[in-house]
Amino acid sequence: MKLIDTVRRAGRSLRQAKARTLLTSLAIGVGAFTITLALAAGEGGRQYASDIISSNTDVRELYVQPKGDDASLDPTRPREYVPGPSMQFGGGFSQKMLSGDDIETLEGLENVSEVTPIYNASALYVTREGQKKYQAGLEPHNSAIKDEIIAGSTDGVGDNQVILPSAFAEVLGLPLNSSSIGQTVDIVMANSVTEEQKTYTLEVKAVVKSSILSAVGSTTLRVSRDTVADMYDFNMRGTPLEGAFLGATVLATDEQSVEGVKEAISDKGYLAQTAEDLMGFLFQFINVLMGVLIGFGALAVLTSVFGIINTQYISVLERTQQIGLMKALGMRGRDVGRLFKLEAAWVGFLGGAIGSGLALLAGTLANPWISDALSLGDSHLLIFQPWSFGVVVGGLMLVAIASGILPSRKAAKLDPIEALRTE
Amino acid sequence: MIELKNVTKTYGKKQNLFTALDDVSLSIPEGASVAILGKSGSGKSTLMHAMSGLDRPQQGEVIVDGQDILKLKQKAVDKFRAEKIGFIFQSFFVQGNESVYDNVSLPLEIAKIPRAERKRRVQRALTSVEMLDKVRNKAKDLSGGQKQRLAIARAIANEPKIIFADEPTGNLDSVTGGLVEDMLFGYNRDRGVTLIIVTHDPELAAKCDVLVNIKDGKIESVEQKNRSDEADSLAREVVQQ
Repeated sequence: MKLIDTVRRAGRSLRQAKARTLLTSLAIGVGAFTITLALAAGEGGRQYASDIISSNTDVRELYVQPKGDDASLDPTRPREYVPGPSMQFGGGFSQKMLSGDDIETLEGLENVSEVTPIYNASALYVTREGQKKYQAGLEPHNSAIKDEIIAGSTDGVGDNQVILPSAFAEVLGLPLNSSSIGQTVDIVMANSVTEEQKTYTLEVKAVVKSSILSAVGSTTLRVSRDTVADMYDFNMRGTPLEGAFLGATVLATDEQSVEGVKEAISDKGYLAQTAEDLMGFLFQFINVLMGVLIGFGALAVLTSVFGIINTQYISVLERTQQIGLMKALGMRGRDVGRLFKLEAAWVGFLGGAIGSGLALLAGTLANPWISDALSLGDSHLLIFQPWSFGVVVGGLMLVAIASGILPSRKAAKLDPIEALRTE
Repeated sequence: MIELKNVTKTYGKKQNLFTALDDVSLSIPEGASVAILGKSGSGKSTLMHAMSGLDRPQQGEVIVDGQDILKLKQKAVDKFRAEKIGFIFQSFFVQGNESVYDNVSLPLEIAKIPRAERKRRVQRALTSVEMLDKVRNKAKDLSGGQKQRLAIARAIANEPKIIFADEPTGNLDSVTGGLVEDMLFGYNRDRGVTLIIVTHDPELAAKCDVLVNIKDGKIESVEQKNRSDEADSLAREVVQQ
């Protein structure tokens, strides 16, 4: 029998047992539903994560730290003193820091366009006339990081200007529109040694949205690099950590040279991490979550496998006489087996199509609600890709065919004389 | 031409050994109508299965058109059945859930006949059993006589050289049974197709050119009917060795 005729006969046999076919398909459909949603959630998660990365980091950036000596991890052994600035913690632990010399070394490397030390500057408070005082962190503005601008512009921040997240604008009594631009904000820094205080009065250059995507932006004011350097310097003057930094960000000249710069920095004895390295854990986390969901789906598929085997066995028994007739008419055992495997494949196809179709429907309906509940803004958690439907349906057809092997073998081996004797 | 030489078929082993066919030799000329007459358990069905390649006797030769089908591989035997043999059964074995068309189409699909040719042959077969008007009906909606006519259409659709009919009228009343008999003998006469009827009904057997009596796995006698010269000459060729 030709394949096309076998496929048609298989489809017809299933149509003649509609309820049974549908119920068996639904069992496999549960698995298809779960797996399709898992793939969609994984894709959505990955896109969400890369949104987070692009709004927090510049892909050309590397984060550089001094290398900790290996022995420092073993708490039972005293550690050797290594000269250079370091931050002391209790119990003999210390975090080595970068010195001005280190920064110069980094600046001297090839393909490095800019080195910015991490200015760990914190304001004593930030305020405006007639408003309360609020805590705030400060960091240099990097124009490569994407912002949702509410008012003003983030290009070319001057030394006496500041970029304000909307949360700060609100508490400091500034409206979220262009009338806030040019207003002044007082940032008060303190020095712990001299107990001096210094007030920086800065003009608002832009108000940006405090985004859920940004990890630090909501509590951090951004100023020009020189201003934050000056603030950090004032913070640390006279302390042992003057002129020392927790780390530095190195900006490569372009995206392609990032890996090369990373190697060069490592060769000099520093620890370098690219933006990708830093955010890699996010992807790993998403993949693990997706894996767990797919695992649940696979469990549902496994259950439905027994359903298919059972149904097909019953079908073979019911159609003993038909099988006997087909074999008497000269149909080969192999072709009879193929007929039953194709019936199983149809069941897999139906289940896959029903399950992934329902998943698409449910996901599309649930997306706005999920985004709302998790405050994801415009991004969607479930992103369906056309290939995932192909993979799910195709994969389940293969699983169904595999489950059909045992029953179809029974059909193929049936003795036509015996089978025709069965009434 | 079908030739059986010393065919022996046994079932079971040792104490349970049962000899269904015991050293049977028989020769059936092309175009003859042959009745194999015997009681149930006499071995008449086993004889039919051996001649049609459904069963494999342990000893002897079954030569059809010069080829010993017992020496063929399973694949070749299946092909032989698909191309040269038509079957009609006592309980029809039509597929009730399928249409009349699909029932007749089944042996043609098995023989890998192209779709367009299939359609022609199905229509021709249904025309010769006067069932073309039922082509879209489900087989389960047919009467017993119609079902057996459908089975005849299925058997002749692929234009076989030999038709085996196992108690073709056993489940039918005498009127419809007579109609089915007329169709079978008519087809046998008009197309020169060898017709082998297995039955325990002496009336039906009497209508055949040649009558083979079988008892306890052995051929008891071969009778020839002298209805016509042609039948007579055919019958003379049937030899019991």
